[in-house]
Amino acid sequence: MRWYVIRRVAWAAVVAFVILTITFLFLEITPDQQVAQLQFQAAQSGGDPEAALDAYEQRRGLNQPLWDRYTEYVTNYVQGNWGWSDTRSEPVLDAIVASLPYSIMYSAPSIVISTVVGMGIGLYSALNQYTKTDYAATFVAFFGISIPNFWFGIMLLLIFGETLGWFPIIFQTSIADTQTFSLANLRQLFLPIVVLSTGAIAGNMRYARAEALEYVRAEFVKTARAKGATGWRMLSRHILRPTLVPLSTLLVGDLLGLLLASSLLVEVVFGIPGVGRLSYDAIINQDTDLVLGTVFIPVFISVVGNLLQDIAYTVLDPRISYGDR
Amino acid sequence: MPSGNEESDGVRQVWLPNRRNMLKMLGIGGAAALAGCSSGDPNDGDSTGTPAQTEDTNTDSTEGDSPDTSEAPQTTTTTEASREVSGDYVTGRGTDAVSLNLLGAAAADGESGDRIGSILDGAYGVTPDLEVFPLWADISTEDGKTYTVELRDNLQWGGDYGQMTAEDWVYMIQEVFQAEDNWTGYPNQSDWQRQDEWIPVEQTGELTFEIQLPQVDPAFPLKPVMWGQTAMPKGLIEKYRGDSDGEGLAQDEDVQTMAYAGNLGPYSLESWERESQFVGTRNEDYYMREAENVPEAWQGAPYFNSYTFQVIPEQSTRLSALRTGEITSTGIPTTQVQQFEQEESVEINVAPQAYMTSMIYNQRVNGNFYEVFRQKESRQALARAVNKETIANDILSGYATIAHTFQPKFSKWYSDETVVQTGVGDEYGAELAREMLEPTLEGTSYSYDGDRIVDGNGEQVTLNLVYAQGSDTTEDMNRFIAQEYDKIGLNVELQGLQFNSMLENYVSNSPSNNPDFSGEPEYAAGPYNGGNRDQSVSPEQWDIMTGIVFNTYPRTPSQTRDFVIKQGGINYYGYEPEADFASLYEEASTAVDESTRQEIYAEIFGLESEEQPFNFLNMGVAIGGYQNNVQGPKPEFGSGWDSNIWYFQQG
Repeated sequence: MRWYVIRRVAWAAVVAFVILTITFLFLEITPDQQVAQLQFQAAQSGGDPEAALDAYEQRRGLNQPLWDRYTEYVTNYVQGNWGWSDTRSEPVLDAIVASLPYSIMYSAPSIVISTVVGMGIGLYSALNQYTKTDYAATFVAFFGISIPNFWFGIMLLLIFGETLGWFPIIFQTSIADTQTFSLANLRQLFLPIVVLSTGAIAGNMRYARAEALEYVRAEFVKTARAKGATGWRMLSRHILRPTLVPLSTLLVGDLLGLLLASSLLVEVVFGIPGVGRLSYDAIINQDTDLVLGTVFIPVFISVVGNLLQDIAYTVLDPRISYGDR
Repeated sequence: MPSGNEESDGVRQVWLPNRRNMLKMLGIGGAAALAGCSSGDPNDGDSTGTPAQTEDTNTDSTEGDSPDTSEAPQTTTTTEASREVSGDYVTGRGTDAVSLNLLGAAAADGESGDRIGSILDGAYGVTPDLEVFPLWADISTEDGKTYTVELRDNLQWGGDYGQMTAEDWVYMIQEVFQAEDNWTGYPNQSDWQRQDEWIPVEQTGELTFEIQLPQVDPAFPLKPVMWGQTAMPKGLIEKYRGDSDGEGLAQDEDVQTMAYAGNLGPYSLESWERESQFVGTRNEDYYMREAENVPEAWQGAPYFNSYTFQVIPEQSTRLSALRTGEITSTGIPTTQVQQFEQEESVEINVAPQAYMTSMIYNQRVNGNFYEVFRQKESRQALARAVNKETIANDILSGYATIAHTFQPKFSKWYSDETVVQTGVGDEYGAELAREMLEPTLEGTSYSYDGDRIVDGNGEQVTLNLVYAQGSDTTEDMNRFIAQEYDKIGLNVELQGLQFNSMLENYVSNSPSNNPDFSGEPEYAAGPYNGGNRDQSVSPEQWDIMTGIVFNTYPRTPSQTRDFVIKQGGINYYGYEPEADFASLYEEASTAVDESTRQEIYAEIFGLESEEQPFNFLNMGVAIGGYQNNVQGPKPEFGSGWDSNIWYFQQG
């Protein structure tokens, strides 16, 4: 098992390196949208478009040969220097470290809520299949999946922020930084959490329901029921545990989502300067160092996350073992 | 990021450096990212007055507080009868600054320029009356050729950089703006060149230096060269000049925190949280309070406890924040103005702008209709085919003014006597346009067949109208143009494009895109005018284009020259004028006597309206929404230059 884990971690480093190289090359071959605009501006104001291009490349360090830039970049990475973000004017690591807490502030509660509530409703629906409450839960699930987060967020802001005045419109980083665990911070995070949770609850609920249904009529559940197990004990001991094996894939994915998939749309609507906007802006502006930084962390974590997931399987299902690998 | 026809995403207070960027950003972003030139009276109050008596009561209470204009001001300092220092101003913006390095990336970015402008004033401002308003410096000349810049004697850098002197300026100009290796990547080096030579700059005293132009240019102070130009101390620049370490300079802590700003601007940088907030707090040492010969209102400036740029990417969220009072101002899209006019708490300010929307004809050889577009008489006919009033009044809800030439009506260089008006009143109509167009088709391969225009094969002519995708009004305008052309027998197919894609595939041109041409091109004037219109063409075919918005430079109209001369760097449409515009512009720009200049410009803009290089449609406006207690914004072109003396009305 230990050897397996070591190999997987080493593999994570190799995968991260390969993906970074591919990303670097993609950025190189993608036409830089800003160049055309800068040159056009220069031409329109009577300047020299070529000089404008040279100045841009000088500022962005693009005037060096590709190989030199690549080797310098890799060397710096190995040494822990992740470079400088040209579009934010700060070190890449600072940019990521600054953005991450804001994403976690709304995505962590959202994941907890959607997991607990979604699974709870899913299990309840499985046990009460084709009842009115099951239909109601299914309706809620489809509503959550169907409603676009972007539109839903704007509507919530208009109704509960602008019209009723219950929640602030602007996300204040000063409150998030200095009063993280306060009512004021909860107020400004409430609507983003609701928006993000709505879709996620639905997804979790449907998965949980489908998985649990497989076991509701399983022989061992019938046996347990025959032996007198009822209610909570039957649900938690005999249905939930086997259900969690496939669901753990979903759960680990959700936890990784803290770092990987913070919602760009939610951050745009609510003005949260989180990782979603950071990554998106980096790509749009072709901020090479920042793009690679925002790619590197999720890649590495997702590989390690997959490892954790595999280990989780062994805990949840003793029949699974990696001892011979 | 600028794009085709997007609506405004923020009210630009037009901090002075931004004025510079605004002039340069012509064409890109439409009226959108360029909003904000509104006005104020440069000589508000009298120009002498005694230094204001200030009385700070609690200067610490704002620290760490989030700006909220709905709350009571934390500090109140009485400075003069009508103005009091109070409240926190928060402007809502769609995007953040990219850098605070004014010698590098920030010089090419409007949002960065705005933030820097709140911390550093710049050399001087220009009032709506086109008067120089000295801030750090005054500029003067006796012959229109040699300009003397004289700095105030109370300008102090922050940190250990001492007093701002002419040495700082000359060093910066020579070692950065005119550095052969352009080690900082300064984007505006061409401002400091004439005929490919660096403009000589010489220190003449501790606080004075001269700029020696190679030829007379009476409009030089109004060009974005010294106007609004900010500076860095020599001591800071020279640390990196030796190794030409532009990266080092950009990452220097003093540059990052603007620690060198000292008393040189109305606010001191409190914090910059990327993609969120840029907060400046009132600079208690602001040099204008002790400066001589400044209007009384400036002696107590600024009048807000803090000034915050709040980044709110989504427009509807910005507008909601304005309604709830969480921000003080932001740009308003034309489609939302009526709603906001009913809001009691919000005042709408509509300021005319000099950015012109046009229909541009492809006169290069890859256009379907270039034979016709090349004829002046045909263009004059086509100018009668599109109703400009409908576009301005109905599609744009009246938030535009009709254009007839490369100059807005409010410009002092515009003359009703010479400008030919088309597309309005009796000069509009399908019948009229057709009557004028039909004879011009003789000698071309096109003709009328009944009501429709057909080519040499008898096929209906269909023109490809490409446009930069943007708001609904953009779509409506282009559909309307297609309908108007249909009335004169031309089919128009619409093709919406991303702005960058339009630049790369339709605006840029080169002889290499022309399979019928080989050999040396007659000339090459850059990527947007790759040569003679029979030789150089764009990668993709097009006939009409909208979405490129031109600055008409009402302050320095000579800068429109490149739009209308054959070898102009921006003549991607292949226009070859009949009039000798090059000579006329040369004559006008070097005329010292203003009435002579006025006369020549009147002739130029009259000729342009007659030649119709393309169909001038309308000039945009900047629409800003402000909390109703904000005093300062005015519905004038050039407003915002005096935003340092804006204030909240009390009570």
